[in-house]
Amino acid sequence: MQFTKRGLLAGLALGALVAAVPAQAQDEVTITVWSIDGANQVGPSDTFSKEFDEMDNGINVEYRILQFDEIVNETLRAFATGNAPDIVSLDNPDFALFSSRGAFLDITDMAAESDVINPEVYFEGPLNSVSWDGRLYGVGKYTDTIGVFYNKDMFAEAGIENPPQTWAEFEEYARKLAKPDQGVYGATLSARGNEEGTFQFLPVIQMSGGGYENVNTEGAREWLSMVKGMIDDGVLSQDVLSLGQWDSTGTFNSGNAAMAISGPWEIDRMVEDADFDWGVTLLPTFGEGDERSSALGGFNLGIMSTTEHPEEAFKVLEYFVSQDDRLFPEFGYLPTRSDVELPLSGIEKKDAALAVFQEQLQYAQPRGPHPEWQKISKAIYDAEQAALTGQMTPDEALSQAQKTIDTILN
Amino acid sequence: MRRILSSITDGKGFDLIMVGMTMLFLFALAGVPLVYNVVMSFQQVDMFNLNTFSRPFAGFENYVAIVSQPEFWLVIRNTAIFVFGSIAGQFIFGFALAIFFMLSFPFASTIRGLFLVSWVMPGLVVGALWGWILAGDFGVLNAILRGLGIIDGTMFWKSDPNLSIWAVTIANIWLGLAFNMMLLSVGLAGIPRDLYEAAELDGASGWQRFTTITLPMMRSTIGAVLALGLIYTLQQFDLFPAITEGGPANSSNVAQYWAWQWSFQLFDFAKGATVSMMMLIFVLVASIVYVRSTRHEVRG
Repeated sequence: MQFTKRGLLAGLALGALVAAVPAQAQDEVTITVWSIDGANQVGPSDTFSKEFDEMDNGINVEYRILQFDEIVNETLRAFATGNAPDIVSLDNPDFALFSSRGAFLDITDMAAESDVINPEVYFEGPLNSVSWDGRLYGVGKYTDTIGVFYNKDMFAEAGIENPPQTWAEFEEYARKLAKPDQGVYGATLSARGNEEGTFQFLPVIQMSGGGYENVNTEGAREWLSMVKGMIDDGVLSQDVLSLGQWDSTGTFNSGNAAMAISGPWEIDRMVEDADFDWGVTLLPTFGEGDERSSALGGFNLGIMSTTEHPEEAFKVLEYFVSQDDRLFPEFGYLPTRSDVELPLSGIEKKDAALAVFQEQLQYAQPRGPHPEWQKISKAIYDAEQAALTGQMTPDEALSQAQKTIDTILN
Repeated sequence: MRRILSSITDGKGFDLIMVGMTMLFLFALAGVPLVYNVVMSFQQVDMFNLNTFSRPFAGFENYVAIVSQPEFWLVIRNTAIFVFGSIAGQFIFGFALAIFFMLSFPFASTIRGLFLVSWVMPGLVVGALWGWILAGDFGVLNAILRGLGIIDGTMFWKSDPNLSIWAVTIANIWLGLAFNMMLLSVGLAGIPRDLYEAAELDGASGWQRFTTITLPMMRSTIGAVLALGLIYTLQQFDLFPAITEGGPANSSNVAQYWAWQWSFQLFDFAKGATVSMMMLIFVLVASIVYVRSTRHEVRG
């Protein structure tokens, strides 16, 4: 009996030892990364996470794919219950919601010591969207913006030589190019009642001297009247009020609209679908040589402040950033920094379009950053829709939006 | 001890346990969330205090804020159009179809069964389907209407603020039609045939038979169908994101979609709770009316 007991104890001790060995090897740190990359197609975050995970450096990376619509909600919930990931990738207007409340880790000092992350090389727009109160809370992952695609064949047929440079020209050409009897609209854009509407309308406010805190500009009123007039006359489809950018540009690709306002994410599909000659030009301005602006899209990467391994998480972030030169050739995304060369693809139209979008990026301005961006954005797209449907005059709609925004800002 | 035991297995104790369990479930699954929702509507809630109970008390601030939203009355109007339009459409067409299928013709019951296809389809699928049918420039409905010569230009069902709420209502009528028809068919089948025969012998016309026999005999069925219709219509959510997203300019926004937008697009959970509280009051009033109007039949 005694012997058996001792044997049992010895066995237990041995077992504990055996159990302890892998425990020691598991000293490795696991960093969780959340992003929407990989939901529809292979993207940078999922690819780089896997690569980093396979490296033998004591840091494992666990990657989770989330859907675009749920990543903010899911991150909020996880943060509230203390299960937040170490690194999360958010759409740039959603970033401030977290950074302003200290949910993202302040990486200013880490970046200052880093050989890889240098805030100075980033474009101003993306950099602003990861900054709060002069501190750095993340890095831009990739970026995009909008310009005007135009059907060169239709332009040639109508005897128009150059793409529109001002909004007046945009309207003039659109009216000239519209062929209602053949189901061809002069132009298409997205004035949808969600973030996409704000994405396309805010640049107009900005280039007329306003911003999200000051929306009722003369230029914005003019622009709304112009677009309303074009809808009323059938130069634009009324469906611009409900179509997203992807669907709206689809009508351009099928030859049912002569111009389309959209971004570089359209290029690959357009190369495939459009059986006509097309080009891209910068978003028009109000007068020749006037201030330019454009929308700033794209995702950011940040380390959550609840992480237990900030240093290891920062190493993962550094690895992601070090791979920025692969963003364009492998995934078709534009990097958020000026020091990455984009190799030519050899497809003439694509390369030409890309050059325009890269120029446009210099004028791209972020939405916000503001912790209550979603409400501000709603005020802006509601105003656009109210004016374009004729429920209110542009002035009424924009001053109502201004009133809503003032209550949010104060 | 034995008496207690026997009372539990067969007696008052058993009844109490049964009632108690039901009450417990009702309390846990309906009462607690309801109370939680009420509490939330009087607090300031954002995502960072979503998980604690100690949130700042807001009094009636949320209610005042909701009512003073510029789109408030528009949303109320749309909700009324959607609810009454849907119920009226579903009920009238459902009743007509139910009576039609009471006629005996070959495959009557098979075809009636096929109508249920619309009811079993998920709302999002129905929404996507109607999204294509109602599309502006390339929509099926417009092509048909043009082909029939009813319209000339293009009806922008999803983008015209005068049409958008009707577009969703039409889709919802189609979705709920089969369910109404089925319930009403059951009611119709329960009316004894000889009543009609007797009335016919007495020389009652078809219309007289409908108003003096069918309608009074169907009273409780109709009440149930209308009450369920109200509940299902106020629950109907999927069609909105799939067809109009409440737009353009909130012209097809209804209370249930608005509540969701507050909570999950604007992250203002308190205002979302406030809108659903207002809906609850509306449903409560409607259910009281319903219970009162059918009370004597429940007892009889």
